[in-house]
Amino acid sequence: MDKQTLGKKLFRWESALVLLLVFEVLVFGAINPKFLMPRVLLGSINNFMSICIVSLFVTFVLITGGIDIQAGSIVGLTSIVIGVLWNDGGLNIYTACLVGLLVGATCGLLSGFFVAYTGVQAMVVTLGGSFLYSGLALAVTKFSSTESYKGISGFPESFTAIAKGKIFSIIPNQLVIFIALVLFAYVLLHMTKYGRKVFLCGVNKNAAEYSGINSRLVIMSTYVLSGIGASIAGILLTAYLGTAKTDLGKEITLPVITAVVLGGTSNLGGTGGVIGTALAALLIGLLRFGLSMADVNTQYLDIPVGVLLVLAVAARFTGSNDKIRSFFRRFRVLFSK
Amino acid sequence: MNKKFQLPRAATAILFIVALFLGIGAINPAFLSVQNIMLCLNSSVVYTVVALGIAFVIITGEIDVSVGATLGMAAAGGGTYIRDGNTGTGVLAALVIGLVIGLVNGFGVTILRIPSIIMTLGINGIVRGLIYVYTDGKWVENIPFEFKALSQAKAFGNLTWFYLAALVVMLLAYLVMTSTHRGRYFIAVGDNAGGATLLGIPVVGTKLTGFILCSVFAAVGGILYVSRVGFITPIAGNGYEMKVIAACVLGGISLTGGVGSVVGAAAGAILMASISRVLVFLGLPSEYDNTITGILLIVIVVVDALVQARSTEKVRKERLAAKTNSVLETAGEAR
Amino acid sequence: MKKTICIVLGLMLVASTMVFAKDKPAADSKKGITVVFVPKLTGNAFFESANIGAQDYAKKHGFTVKYDGNPEASVANQVTVIDNAINTGADAICVSSVDAKGLDSIMREAKKAGVKVVTWDSDVSGDARTVMVSQGTPDILGKMLVDMLADSLKERGKNPAKDAIKYCWHYSQATVADQNSWQVAGEAYIKKAYPNWKNVAPSNYYSEQDAEKAITIGEAILTAHPDIDGIICNDSTALPGQAQAAQNLGKTKKDVSITGFASPNSMKGYCKAGIIARWGLWDCKIQGALGCYLAYYLASGKTIKVGDKINVPDIGTVEVFPNTVLDPKAYTAKDSGVVLLPERAVFTIDNMNNYNF
Repeated sequence: MDKQTLGKKLFRWESALVLLLVFEVLVFGAINPKFLMPRVLLGSINNFMSICIVSLFVTFVLITGGIDIQAGSIVGLTSIVIGVLWNDGGLNIYTACLVGLLVGATCGLLSGFFVAYTGVQAMVVTLGGSFLYSGLALAVTKFSSTESYKGISGFPESFTAIAKGKIFSIIPNQLVIFIALVLFAYVLLHMTKYGRKVFLCGVNKNAAEYSGINSRLVIMSTYVLSGIGASIAGILLTAYLGTAKTDLGKEITLPVITAVVLGGTSNLGGTGGVIGTALAALLIGLLRFGLSMADVNTQYLDIPVGVLLVLAVAARFTGSNDKIRSFFRRFRVLFSK
Repeated sequence: MNKKFQLPRAATAILFIVALFLGIGAINPAFLSVQNIMLCLNSSVVYTVVALGIAFVIITGEIDVSVGATLGMAAAGGGTYIRDGNTGTGVLAALVIGLVIGLVNGFGVTILRIPSIIMTLGINGIVRGLIYVYTDGKWVENIPFEFKALSQAKAFGNLTWFYLAALVVMLLAYLVMTSTHRGRYFIAVGDNAGGATLLGIPVVGTKLTGFILCSVFAAVGGILYVSRVGFITPIAGNGYEMKVIAACVLGGISLTGGVGSVVGAAAGAILMASISRVLVFLGLPSEYDNTITGILLIVIVVVDALVQARSTEKVRKERLAAKTNSVLETAGEAR
Repeated sequence: MKKTICIVLGLMLVASTMVFAKDKPAADSKKGITVVFVPKLTGNAFFESANIGAQDYAKKHGFTVKYDGNPEASVANQVTVIDNAINTGADAICVSSVDAKGLDSIMREAKKAGVKVVTWDSDVSGDARTVMVSQGTPDILGKMLVDMLADSLKERGKNPAKDAIKYCWHYSQATVADQNSWQVAGEAYIKKAYPNWKNVAPSNYYSEQDAEKAITIGEAILTAHPDIDGIICNDSTALPGQAQAAQNLGKTKKDVSITGFASPNSMKGYCKAGIIARWGLWDCKIQGALGCYLAYYLASGKTIKVGDKINVPDIGTVEVFPNTVLDPKAYTAKDSGVVLLPERAVFTIDNMNNYNF
């Protein structure tokens, strides 16, 4: 399939996601009108923002054919590093955040190195990484006067306002940051040479290598990006909750993969897009929020998300299954008679 | 040719286990007591069974991340009957659950052409939610003592019947997969699905069988879980999928399919199950649990990959040499 | 073709959603008062029992308790649950917090939105809630754990005051505030009262509320320290796991003294089998009921001040203490206080069948 048809396929998928998003808003708004209140609707995005941000950059990893399940641990590690540096190290909070970003990048670099240069399976290395980084987060608390079970809090107002503040009292700051990140990721992936290299490494690593692309460096860099993305999410989450804890983000791993995959990125690599991921992350987040507003118990929320994932992807892939196509064609013939 | 290629990979995992055990034993001799080693083996039986099941799927080139949820559902469903005294119904219920989930997964992947990671991810979420619907958030507890005692019943020495059975199943699976006609389909399909179709191998049937076997094994794992653990919380089985996938990879099974054997999966399972235990014997502060697990995993996998890269290179050169030689021979004969 | 499929799917999704939504009517269409009862995590015997207590009590006394929580105990999840409660128009919330400070801002927002805020089991900052229903201070609970161990040791012939007793702690994780505070208080008490005791694992063992891990770690503890005298499991998943591990290895209460906190139902089997002599808890059904009642009390327009004595129907009179009773450095104000549960319970083979939760 040439690039044009590939691009068209993705575009159709993304418009389908937009359609579903609109549907969601309408339906949930009908069930509970409070859902439509801008303050409530936009405010709810704050609660799943970390999934949205992390999945943006994990998309890069999946496009190269890898996978990254350590992002959740990096979120927690960044959070506690910031907390300890600020609380016990006396660093300025923003300097601490910069160090946090460096930490995330280094974690990504380590795992990316193993995946790219030693040919290890990405799933297992990042699985090991997820244990390692969450363990390191606990180890970091040893350097702090606070015990590991008490988070570090009391951050300056200016810091927490970044995540909790609202523009015009309606649009949350985090949403604005998210949109900025989406634009950045989009430009990086779809408009730069680097982005094209990422795609090519995913389509065929060897061919990319032979055409002069340093595929190993490119693949490793996607893990670094993913690590930085997780750090950003960690910084925002810490600011939003007002507390730095070692286990922040531990539950976002599977939702992130779900969002990336639902957004149209194939785990075999080569296809995908940032817009799709962003839309899918919003779709899933709003689905869960809307269902809770419709009084569905939180414990059951995984079921509709799972159904959504399966049905949505079935539509996409079943369409390309010739047997089913001909089956439906027979129906049409029947009706036309 | 295949046989020679597979055994070395499983052997690396076994070597690792021996090295790890000896290493820990050097630090804390209590670890090397026969009782403790047997304990390690016996307590890895749930992981082993689930890893054996998922090995089928991974060897065919797919993946199944819903095994943890299947185990939990089978444990909760079967456990409820067993708690009330109907052991037979309980076991049957668990197996049916495994069968159904396996069929659904297989159907989605082979007929609807949904990529296996997505299908099983979705099913994972659905089944996890269903466990809550079924148990209403409550624990399934007070399993009859006789049933729990089954997990401790020893066959000979300190080896339990459960683990012995798991070993027998592993051997059977190994023999089937390497020696029987149908068994070799798994590796063929995983190695090159297109080529397999051209040879007349039923790819859809093989993959479907793989998924069904995987979920049924996970369900059996659920029953073993009920017997060993004695109380089932709604999050039973959480995280198992990652651990058994890691176990398979450690045992030499490649996630791209077509390589590896169930022996490796069983060895990897012992390794994964022993890590928590190992850390207690090391006597290090438990804050370092996760750190050490992570380091161990990464080290083992990287070393394994490096070793494999060497042997893959060797095999590739051998194949190339063989081809070149036969071409030269034919050329020589033609003259 | 694809667009049609997507639209059809969208409608199917909508339909399945409406099916779910029909199960429970929206919160704000009720006439009575709704209290949203939030546990640390769902699917845990302790919290499920508290919910049963709260539900029964609410039904008898004319208000509604909605149980909402996440299967995974995390700060972000709890914030989401509380945010949903505010958005669906709850009148009051009664929360057992995963983190001492992480919920502060969302709770303050709830207060601002007019939702009454009560905590139970695990507290937040004093100024973020009106009243906390506490099962006891960390000192009380830490001492209780140690005393239970001492009693069990005495029963099997050891002398806690003189013998070199080896023990360790086994609970969920290093990051949960309450269990760790009990462990810290317990250790301090042991240093004072039983200096001859030796903690073989000062950094404790954690099994993360995973039943299988609790058994694996439990077995490992018993094999790595074959001469251990006592294990304190102050987590409701760790204790049954440790007991099962002991049973698997053929040990009984005569070989090692295991004790801790867990629901009576989860341990009755082990007590009957002689694996464990005593364990404790408090009536979490009453705690849940009390918490929800106080939330309802506030939501009906009444106020609570430190020093008040409130008559709780079917439970008794409770007094509101200042926050300093839990922590000398706590925030003090007239409208922020603590209610203590009157008693905790120690379960033994003699009284365990009187309890059903």
